[in-house]
Amino acid sequence: MFCIVAAVVLSILGIFSATNRRLAKEALDCVFRRITFRPCNTGFDEKMKAKILGKVINRSERTARFLSKNFEILAWIFFVLMLASSIFMVRSLYLFYTTGSCNGANDTGFCVFDPTGENNQTSSTTEGACPVPANITDEGGGLTLKGVDLDLWPVMNTDSKNQFVFIGCYSCDYTRKVYPEIRKLVDEFEPEFFFGEYPTKLKTDYLSRIGYCVYNQDQEKYWQMNDAFFAQEKSLLEDVDATREIISNLGLDVNAIESCAEEPTTEDSIQKLFTEIRKTNFYGTPTIFINGEPLVGPKPFRVYAIQLEGLFYWLK
Amino acid sequence: MTINDYRIDFPILNPQNNEKRIIYLDSACQSLRPRQVIEAMDRYYTQYPACSGRSNHQLAANVTRLVDDARQQMSKLLGASRVEEIIFTRNTTEGINLVANALDFNPGDIVLIGGKEHNSNLIPWQMLVKRRGIQLKILHSHADGSFDLSAFELALSEGVKLVSFGYTSNLDGVTLPVEQIIKLAHKKGALVLLDAAQAAPQRKINVRALDIDFLALSGHKILGPSGTGVLYGKYKLLDGMNPFMVGGDTVASSTYETCEFLPVPEKYEAGLQDYAGIIGLGAAARYLQSVGFDAIQKQEFLLNKIMTEGTNDIQGLHLIGPADPALRGGIFTFYVDGIDSHRIALMLDQMANICVRSGQHCVHSWFNAKGIKGSVRASTYFYNTQEEIELFVENLKKIRKVL
Repeated sequence: MFCIVAAVVLSILGIFSATNRRLAKEALDCVFRRITFRPCNTGFDEKMKAKILGKVINRSERTARFLSKNFEILAWIFFVLMLASSIFMVRSLYLFYTTGSCNGANDTGFCVFDPTGENNQTSSTTEGACPVPANITDEGGGLTLKGVDLDLWPVMNTDSKNQFVFIGCYSCDYTRKVYPEIRKLVDEFEPEFFFGEYPTKLKTDYLSRIGYCVYNQDQEKYWQMNDAFFAQEKSLLEDVDATREIISNLGLDVNAIESCAEEPTTEDSIQKLFTEIRKTNFYGTPTIFINGEPLVGPKPFRVYAIQLEGLFYWLK
Repeated sequence: MTINDYRIDFPILNPQNNEKRIIYLDSACQSLRPRQVIEAMDRYYTQYPACSGRSNHQLAANVTRLVDDARQQMSKLLGASRVEEIIFTRNTTEGINLVANALDFNPGDIVLIGGKEHNSNLIPWQMLVKRRGIQLKILHSHADGSFDLSAFELALSEGVKLVSFGYTSNLDGVTLPVEQIIKLAHKKGALVLLDAAQAAPQRKINVRALDIDFLALSGHKILGPSGTGVLYGKYKLLDGMNPFMVGGDTVASSTYETCEFLPVPEKYEAGLQDYAGIIGLGAAARYLQSVGFDAIQKQEFLLNKIMTEGTNDIQGLHLIGPADPALRGGIFTFYVDGIDSHRIALMLDQMANICVRSGQHCVHSWFNAKGIKGSVRASTYFYNTQEEIELFVENLKKIRKVL
């Protein structure tokens, strides 16, 4: 058992040191002999045992005696621990690859592969123009699309088998961060794509009304407008003139869009959309539902792609 | 001068600020080198890095002079009749191989060797059994490792061509009664080759007085550089043998069809030699003589006595060789029931930087015949101290207590 533990540990250490590489080779040879039912006659286990005992004996003869007598049992214990930690490590790797978090989707616990928790960051909605109800504090568990009427949401690719629901806001950092990935994903896999814009800053809430009116006038240009808003410098989103320029550049009648945005019916529709968005119990942006499964925070491209097309999405 | 005066000459025994203190008990493998040897070699590389005997410039002349001096020193050390009887080799193994391959052996010739020979004095003869059809006979020692003279006499009566023995065993330190052996062998017309790898570092050898035919030794065991050695042979014998390795520096002249060999020793020293090593070996021989073999033997006996007495109460410890430390020179070989010899050696190294040898010490044949897996060999030299040996004993006891 000792050889197996040593082979694994020394193989890892061997990446950094030639001495450990040589020992790892001996350990692997020993493992190979053991699994082919031959005695480990490389002297590796003896060598390592002697080295360990030699170090310990100078500090405590008692401990050295204990180690010597129970070496095989201790090796077994370490083997089991190593096996368990290996399983957890593989699981963590798999979860990180598929969900962007070592601990599973939307779990914000520490992840060694994402130590800053970048993949789970969200922009808070508590100071937003349309605050999320205070009773909604669940992280992930309460997120749902059940009972949410998606008819009011801007949508594209309506005949797709996959559904992708995206809640974000034009001025939120993490929505802005993930948007290019999502756009690329939508272009590549063409899911039925819903976008629920939920403004978190009062100064940009007018963009929701603008968006509503643009969508009603020309759906294709609505998506182009979104691209432009997310590409726009964040501070300029509060600048009405800069927004006008974007609308104008899209070939739309700016005055007509602004008039539409000021209509009380527009505000009603927007509030209805916000109500539907809130029903998802989301607590931060971006929040994404792929075929009903929620993902919170800006995940890497692969995470969304796996949710849409499976583990081997890149083969498709 | 005391032993401590000599210790100063060995850099590794005088650790500087953060260097660890080493207790070197593996001198039977190779001895440490005094700075005089290191400096002699250093001078070759820094002041006259040239060929000996070939070129005529001042650097070459210097090297030629120093190589001649080294040969002279070795000749003096061994008490040879002529300086030409000293042939530089890489080690004892090469010396024995040279005799095995250059001496005229015929099918059926008998070579007699001991039962606890180093592989260097076993394998060359095994090869001759296959290649030339000689007969290889083994003479076993008494149970305590001492030489069986009557069995030897009996073996000689079979018509032995060459007797090849380890003068002092690297396994148990037992030194053979070579004077009697040589007399008996010569009486029966047998030649005598001695593997003096272990004897040369610890005793005065006079090849002329003992009437030795061939004697091989290693430089690295007598304070000299590794990769150096000497084969002594009686001039008449060497002159009559065909060279083993041939090529550059072995011939006076050549045509496309034939060549004219140089006399002894050049005809046995093929190719460019390890001049730095040879010069270092000369310095080692000089140093060794300045220490004196009486002082060396006295110190080795004292240290072996401490080891023997200090360890005789260790449960399960089996000494290889005679119980009397006076008969084992600087060698103390043992194994402990139930404890792997490598483990003991590694633990000594880890615990107190004590360097000993473990395993079968190139005497696999003896261990395999006895069914002993391996042993630990602590071998001392004159630079070791009583305090070091006491530490060795103390740590060995600790290991036994724990394992």
